[in-house]
Amino acid sequence: MKQPAGVQAEGRTPSASPQIELRGAGVRYGDFWALKDVSLSVSPGERVALVGPSGAGKSTLLSLMNGTAAPSEGSVELFGRDLGSLGPAELRRTQARIGTIHQQFDLVGPLRVIHNVNAGRLAGWSTLRAIRSLVLPLEVASTRQALTRVGLAGKLYERTDRLSGGERQRVALARVMVQDPAAILADEPISSLDPVRGEEVMGLLRDLSAELGRTLVTSLHVFEYALSHCDRVVGLRAGRILFDSPSAEVTPEMSRELYRIDPQ
Amino acid sequence: MSASADLLELETAPPATTTNQQGPTGTNNPRRVWALVVLVAVVVSAYSLGIGRGDLVNQGGWSMVRNFFAGALSPELNPDFLRITWDATLTTLAYASLGTALSVFIGLVFGVVVSQTWWGVGRRDGYGRGLIKRAGWLTSRGALGLPRGVHEVVWGLFLVNVLGLDPLVGVLAIGIPFGAVTAKVFSELIDETPKHAYDGLRSSGVGRVKAFAYALAPQAFPDLLSYSFYRFECAIRAAAILGIIGAGGLGYQLSISFSSLRYNEMWTLIYALILVSGLADLWSTTLRRPDRSRFLVSNEQVPGLRRDRFLNLSMLAFGVLAAVSAWHLQLDPATLWSQRARTLLAGIRDASFPLNLTVEQLSTLGRLALQTLAMSIVAIAAASALAVATAFVAARSQGGGEDPGPVRRLGSLGARALLLFCRAVPPPVWALLLLFVLFSGPLPGALALGVYNYGILGRLMAEVVENLDPRPVYALRAQGTGGVKAFFYGVLPLSLPRFGGYALYRWEVTMREVVVVGLVAAGGLGRLLQEQLSSFNYPGVVATLLTLVGLTIFADLVGSSIRRAIG
Amino acid sequence: MRNPIRRIPALLCILALFLGACSGGDTDASDTEEGIDNSAEGISIGAIPDQAPEKLQRLYGAVSEYLTAELGVPVDYVPVTDYTAAVGLFKVGDLDMVWFGGLTGVQARLQVEGSQAILQRDIDENFHSVFIANTASGLTPVDDVEGLSALKGKRFTFGSESSTSGRLMPQYFLGQAGVRQADFQGEPGFSGSHDKTAELVQAGSFEAGVLNEQVWKARQDAGQVDDSKVIEIFRTPAYHDYHWIARPDLIERDGGEFVERVKEAFTNLDPADPDQKEILDLFGANGFIETENDNYAEIEQIGRELGLIS
Repeated sequence: MKQPAGVQAEGRTPSASPQIELRGAGVRYGDFWALKDVSLSVSPGERVALVGPSGAGKSTLLSLMNGTAAPSEGSVELFGRDLGSLGPAELRRTQARIGTIHQQFDLVGPLRVIHNVNAGRLAGWSTLRAIRSLVLPLEVASTRQALTRVGLAGKLYERTDRLSGGERQRVALARVMVQDPAAILADEPISSLDPVRGEEVMGLLRDLSAELGRTLVTSLHVFEYALSHCDRVVGLRAGRILFDSPSAEVTPEMSRELYRIDPQ
Repeated sequence: MSASADLLELETAPPATTTNQQGPTGTNNPRRVWALVVLVAVVVSAYSLGIGRGDLVNQGGWSMVRNFFAGALSPELNPDFLRITWDATLTTLAYASLGTALSVFIGLVFGVVVSQTWWGVGRRDGYGRGLIKRAGWLTSRGALGLPRGVHEVVWGLFLVNVLGLDPLVGVLAIGIPFGAVTAKVFSELIDETPKHAYDGLRSSGVGRVKAFAYALAPQAFPDLLSYSFYRFECAIRAAAILGIIGAGGLGYQLSISFSSLRYNEMWTLIYALILVSGLADLWSTTLRRPDRSRFLVSNEQVPGLRRDRFLNLSMLAFGVLAAVSAWHLQLDPATLWSQRARTLLAGIRDASFPLNLTVEQLSTLGRLALQTLAMSIVAIAAASALAVATAFVAARSQGGGEDPGPVRRLGSLGARALLLFCRAVPPPVWALLLLFVLFSGPLPGALALGVYNYGILGRLMAEVVENLDPRPVYALRAQGTGGVKAFFYGVLPLSLPRFGGYALYRWEVTMREVVVVGLVAAGGLGRLLQEQLSSFNYPGVVATLLTLVGLTIFADLVGSSIRRAIG
Repeated sequence: MRNPIRRIPALLCILALFLGACSGGDTDASDTEEGIDNSAEGISIGAIPDQAPEKLQRLYGAVSEYLTAELGVPVDYVPVTDYTAAVGLFKVGDLDMVWFGGLTGVQARLQVEGSQAILQRDIDENFHSVFIANTASGLTPVDDVEGLSALKGKRFTFGSESSTSGRLMPQYFLGQAGVRQADFQGEPGFSGSHDKTAELVQAGSFEAGVLNEQVWKARQDAGQVDDSKVIEIFRTPAYHDYHWIARPDLIERDGGEFVERVKEAFTNLDPADPDQKEILDLFGANGFIETENDNYAEIEQIGRELGLIS
């Protein structure tokens, strides 16, 4: 694998200059504030879990972090650059350094596994090369390596929509591996998997982050995984940050407060 | 899987070899075989229709085509002709709405009767009558194949010989074949509906009809309804085509104006057709749009109150339209069982049998069947190629995603107008226009069907693009992939299989539609049928119809095999 | 965007009601002319659509008006779109009396036992087709049937497939000249009507074509023929063509008296009377004469030879 594009950080110690920085960011849909006044800073190599009830704004926060949504107020900085100030080409180059995993839905079903994995390299490929690879697949060896790493060595030429949910999630992981980003964002990566497959995928994500020193920001609906697999937990509720604390210091009270049901 | 080890060295292994070594996972083989079959079929068909063999274009005809299109700018607007156009529009609408109403009625009755659920096929059965049930289901299902395999126009020509010049001919000619199609689709929709409630009622001893009414009907209702509105949209096109064989309405006026080459009048009528079918398309698309009334902020649906009102209003509007239509056409169902109708029907029956086909007739049938096949293949190949290219321009968005810019919106509008024009003009009129510049024979007929199907396929494909799952493309964009690359890795692979599905579906329909262009001497079995009808050769007509039904069944079988392979 | 779309059904409702209100007006205002016995059963007449529809409408509108006055019962003209439909509707009884061509007349009589050819124009005893050519084709007038072989390799169009003067007899004479359908460039066209044949040849869509003589003359008289673009190259030998055929019930009506009155009405058409002269002019004839089934035996034979009658 080639050198990661982002800042190489060692271990779990947050370094001084943050990779992702939100300042007073808010996102509004019509009259509705999906996110309000969020300030958050993520340093290279950190593993951050976003938790909170449905509709709390976790997905919106992640889409701010990968530049697919623009803040209605406040600012978002990636690698020290304000996204609002970038031209389209520069924005794309910056986005190429962030890898995002959704709930396995970001794969193209009718394509073979190898193309879905290679899709992670598209930002670095010319258009011609990209189209050529659809006919004669390129980077077969390194793709196979990535698939082997996630336990799918034999599925290189399988059609992606013939795979099971857990397998597809692992293809998505392989895609992020070949993209080789400085930071990995994961939106509910295990919500559609059974507990055993979920544990596997979370383990892979954590190892990936730990071994290669990549930042990981993941939203999770299972509170326990947040504590066991990440070193920092951010609680979101109704579009605002309720708490932001090291995993070790999260108390049952914080969790209860986060998921409290408001009397109507 | 062991075979994959030695592939590690191959940096760019060609997929063909790789698949072969994949053993159990090599599911791509049938796709390749079918792709090859389709390619060969298209080339052979095109060649057999004379493409690549010279002398196709009648150079003298271009001036006529120019004159025709020049008429677009000056449609006939004198009050008398506008009045004729208005009446014709009403008549076409009336046939379409009553035909739809009849087909929905037939669809409801037979859709239930031929569903697997009704026969209880493929479910646990304690008392071993599975075989009988299965036979019952297959028989009832097969019985729908015949009315479905015969095109509306052929029904029209047949019914005129039984009922004479009666508006019922137009209504039945649309209602019967559409009814059979609707029944098939309804039965599939019913079979896809969750069965727990139905099973619950049945197990407590409730009869089938009651259980259907209480447990299945309410669940399946929205789907049935939205499909019915799609049928209405098709019925307008069918009514226009029927007009050309004399049922009256816009198609009739169009063919009259065409036979005296009055292009200005033709354009008035074409604009009326575009307006009517455009409105019907808009109505049915709006009803069927999956995101209608969905609030996109969260993934939750806003309670369906507004949708219900739109649905209810639509049903009410349709009811009023059908009632006014029945009155406008002055329908008298008693004609159906009149003495005359019975005598004429008996006469046709007696004249049709025995078939007594000679070897010569059989070889003519065989040759023309192949020609019909070639025409349908060329028509769909041409239509699909153009439609795929247009669909991405015509789609207002890709998967409901980002807001399109003004350029894109303008392009989409233009493409949609072109598609609407192509499908609003009935195929026989396209054939007659093409006959200006192409020599008589199967090719102008095939291309006429191509143009018409381009209009239909382009729209269906644009809908596919608009309703694509946006998430894969969104994910590609999120990692900084540019537009063109995201298109090839996201949009295109997601849409192609569904494009293929639609192309196959239209191919099956086109097999029946070939008859329509044959009526204006544009080749295939339709032309033979026309000759047989005009010489009242009923045994010949029956033989030709059987051949056509055979072709339709063939197309259905091939279509479903290919669908399975690409599915 | 959403609101206007939601209103479509409501608009359609209103539209439908409005349409209904408009179209009701003109249904009950007919058949109130004086001297017509509306209680007597009317008859429906039709004609093969061999010419431009507006001409047919004018001609048969005048004919049905004349017959209504002469016969004292309502006579309706029912327009049809193609030759086959004319035969079909005659067969089912929707048309009592139809103006057929030679071939369609034979087909119709074979379908309806007991129907009879009753009347024809003076010109129909000696009917001709004319072959015409676009001047750019280089074709020149020929002297005899054999001369038609000059058409080989040209772009050629017939009229309707079931037309006697636009297809059957021309194909017969072409056959005598040794010209088969495959000898033309491309496949021969079927324009659908005599008028359209004339226009297509004049416009150069086809280099040559064939149509019935009466339509050709009428177009010449009306100044619709541009001599610099299209010329007549051959006039065929004579044959029997157009005629009125009546259904058996019409022939037996009132003990045969009714059909006699129909015959009289036609044979009495008088060029001196301006209204009647108009009808004769539209028919392109000087008068009507009686005819009988046997006059069309030759056409039937040729039709069978060419496979157009089975």
